[in-house]
Amino acid sequence: MDMVPPNNRPLLPDEEILPGLQAGEQAAFEAFVRRFCDPMYYIAQRILRNEEDTRDVMQDAFLRAFRAIHQFEGRSQLSTWLRRIVINAALKKLKANQRHSSQSIDELLPQFGADEHHTREFTLLESTVEELVNRREIRLLVHRRIQELPEIYRMVVLLRDIEGLSTEETAEILETSVMVIKTRLHRARQALRTLLEPDLKGEAL
Amino acid sequence: MNCREIADFLNLYVEGELPTAERTIFEAHLAECPNCRAYIASYRTTVSVVQQSAARDDCSPPVPEDLVRAILASVTTPAT
Repeated sequence: MDMVPPNNRPLLPDEEILPGLQAGEQAAFEAFVRRFCDPMYYIAQRILRNEEDTRDVMQDAFLRAFRAIHQFEGRSQLSTWLRRIVINAALKKLKANQRHSSQSIDELLPQFGADEHHTREFTLLESTVEELVNRREIRLLVHRRIQELPEIYRMVVLLRDIEGLSTEETAEILETSVMVIKTRLHRARQALRTLLEPDLKGEAL
Repeated sequence: MNCREIADFLNLYVEGELPTAERTIFEAHLAECPNCRAYIASYRTTVSVVQQSAARDDCSPPVPEDLVRAILASVTTPAT
């Protein structure tokens, strides 16, 4: 999750930034912010989908991190620790702003007839995963389709498949059980398959 | 096992979490159902494309510099 600072200074490893951060040094905090602001902004933006809220959460999260840096015990990387702070702050903001009831995902799931067979036929893609992922249009479409998912499913995909958190970590953050996370993730992936199918096939033609 | 059950338990199969007996039944259906095989292939592709697209992480503009300055300004007085 490293980034190149705008002035192209070489990145400092955690062990060089941390003492300065814990001593409250402004220069260390600037190195910390410039190093991680892009990937953290991206995480907050994907969760919140709103520029104003994203900016609020970024300021909140980095300030929390600076104030809590003495609690960082080095059991994980700084980026991992900060990411958790950003995700929690974003989810808290999202919960505070939530004004919609749960949306249904049913129409995006596979449909079955009375004989319990699929109501349609599926075909194999001609392109490989690598060929698809190498196309920026496909990567943009992936992010767009994730945003189209109902909220509770979008969150699970973001945390599990995008941020790479474990099922247990995701369950803890979303305050639910591992079984619920597994079920939601599966339904979300099925829905994404439905949403992405025309996009992926379009690229294969 | 029918096609609906295959779809319902697909995530456990893909993650290798189906018990042996269920896995045998699952694979017996797949051997006879090309539509379910195609569905599973597209499911696996979708998951891989989603995960690997995320790893590229290049679909968002950089943080606006005024936000970076605002974050830095918020801690001009170090916490004690």
